[in-house]
Amino acid sequence: MTTEPVLQATDLHFAYQAQREVLSGVSLGAAAGKLLCILGPNGSGKTTLLRCLLGQLLPTRGNVQLDGKSLRRMSPRKRARLLAYVPQFPESAFAVSVLEMVLIGRLAHAGTLGLAGKHDLNVAREAMKMTDTLDFANRTLGELSGGEAQCVMIARALAQQPAVMLLDEPTSHLDIRNQLKIYGMMQRLAHDWRMAVICVSHDVNLAARFADELLLLRTGRVIAHGPVSAVIQPDLLGQTYDVDIRLYTPDDDSGPLIWAQ
Amino acid sequence: MNLRSVDIPLLTARKLLFWAGLLLLATVVCVGVYSFIGGAPIGDGRFWASKVWQLRVFRLLAGAVVGSALAVAGMALQGLMRNPLAEPYVLGLSSGAGVGVLLGPLLAQWTIVPDWLSAPLLALAGALLTAIVVYAVAQRHGFLNPYVLLLSGVIVNVFNGALILVILQFVKQTDMIQFIGWGMGKLPEWLWFESRLLWLCGAVTAGGWAVIFLRGASLNALGLGDEVAASSGVAVSWLRVELFIVIALMTSAAVSLAGPVGFVGLIIPHACRLMVGPDHRLLTIISGFVGAIFLMTADTACRLLGEAIKVGELPVGVITALVGGPVFILMLRRREGKGQL
Repeated sequence: MTTEPVLQATDLHFAYQAQREVLSGVSLGAAAGKLLCILGPNGSGKTTLLRCLLGQLLPTRGNVQLDGKSLRRMSPRKRARLLAYVPQFPESAFAVSVLEMVLIGRLAHAGTLGLAGKHDLNVAREAMKMTDTLDFANRTLGELSGGEAQCVMIARALAQQPAVMLLDEPTSHLDIRNQLKIYGMMQRLAHDWRMAVICVSHDVNLAARFADELLLLRTGRVIAHGPVSAVIQPDLLGQTYDVDIRLYTPDDDSGPLIWAQ
Repeated sequence: MNLRSVDIPLLTARKLLFWAGLLLLATVVCVGVYSFIGGAPIGDGRFWASKVWQLRVFRLLAGAVVGSALAVAGMALQGLMRNPLAEPYVLGLSSGAGVGVLLGPLLAQWTIVPDWLSAPLLALAGALLTAIVVYAVAQRHGFLNPYVLLLSGVIVNVFNGALILVILQFVKQTDMIQFIGWGMGKLPEWLWFESRLLWLCGAVTAGGWAVIFLRGASLNALGLGDEVAASSGVAVSWLRVELFIVIALMTSAAVSLAGPVGFVGLIIPHACRLMVGPDHRLLTIISGFVGAIFLMTADTACRLLGEAIKVGELPVGVITALVGGPVFILMLRRREGKGQL
């Protein structure tokens, strides 16, 4: 079992406009087999950080290493074989079937025309089995519920067979049942599929319950980064969100509940 | 349940080849059949040397080039903008190229570029410039607002239309009728003695068609959003630049030949998408050929109609606009009903 991080960001700085840094020296590491949740208030730089980790924004200083190589110098195709992304809101401009959508995840593995072969179909099948989406393989995104659509997006990312999966608030518009489902899925991807899973999250309780590691971000700086028990502390959370935090520990030892006021 | 029990026809190389072969054949048949239709004063029996034959075949070939260029460029534009209402004519690219074409003869005397080449080159400049303006107006931080996109297209169209009117002031009264016909979109009749423009535009169209076909998988990914496409391995910014240039080239080719023919890039991809689904690889092949066949048919209809009502010949742009306008409105209403544009 490796503990070496697959994705390693060192001292990231980023500014959309000069003199106004959104990220000021963020470092983090994501290891295979771990679910890392990034928490922080609105405007703390979570999305910017995610875009830097995806290689879609170039940090003004610092660098991101993916599988030991600099992300900056990697071609989009090579990057896509190591790193997959799940957006906050699933969208599809045209009425593409779910299976076709999942097969788009095979693009970086396929030839120029991106035609799917037998192996691609098998990978897609595994990805859809894992995410419970096989049953609506020939439906379109518009015919699915929000939770189902998000599962399809995860299946699509999974079809890339990545080492790292990044998710941007994947449950922000879902009901409780689907939130639990998606978090459970992310946990299985990390623990059973040995991926490094990084999820930007707004729900402190869900993140604390499912994640292995947490990162607290505030105004572009890391407040805390480590195992859940070390990060879920009233003072650290309070400092991050600017609220009073109390922790309640239920009798069944299922981890602390976070109460903000 | 497994994937094999799900009945989804997957795209294969064989399927692409089948459609390409079938539709190529249909296109050739159309050229053959349409050139025999209508009154044909063949004269002393030497049909192959007759002006009618030469006139019609060259005109049909031009129609095929214009139709496929506009249909494929329209489809690529829709994929690129993630908006099925995007089209070279609606977004003002055609009128931008039109300004260039009209400036061609006026500016040719001051340049070393040969006369026949100055119009298509200036058309390209006009189309590219218009594309940059429309895109720059509609985008905010790389995101396109579809309403603003259509609006800026409308406004740029009005602006280009005004430029065209200004240029027309410098045209001799006797040539006016010709220019007005051209302004509505009309296939040229002089190609049989000056065919270089046809070969050039044909080559540009074929090249652009091939590039867009090869980018079909990337366009499919782009439909899921820029970020998802980029993380799937698509170089999104480069794809945008590359395809915008290709679209501008194809639009210029079409406009150099026939003037701003409207709505072909809207109707054809839309109809083809309804028939074969949204996969851009298959759609590129099919809409290109269907566009060619459609425009040849429309032009032949115009020719016959013109003969029938004795007004000479109707510009083909009249028919495409009469069909395309209502189709555009229907599509707009339906998408509005679904709360999206």
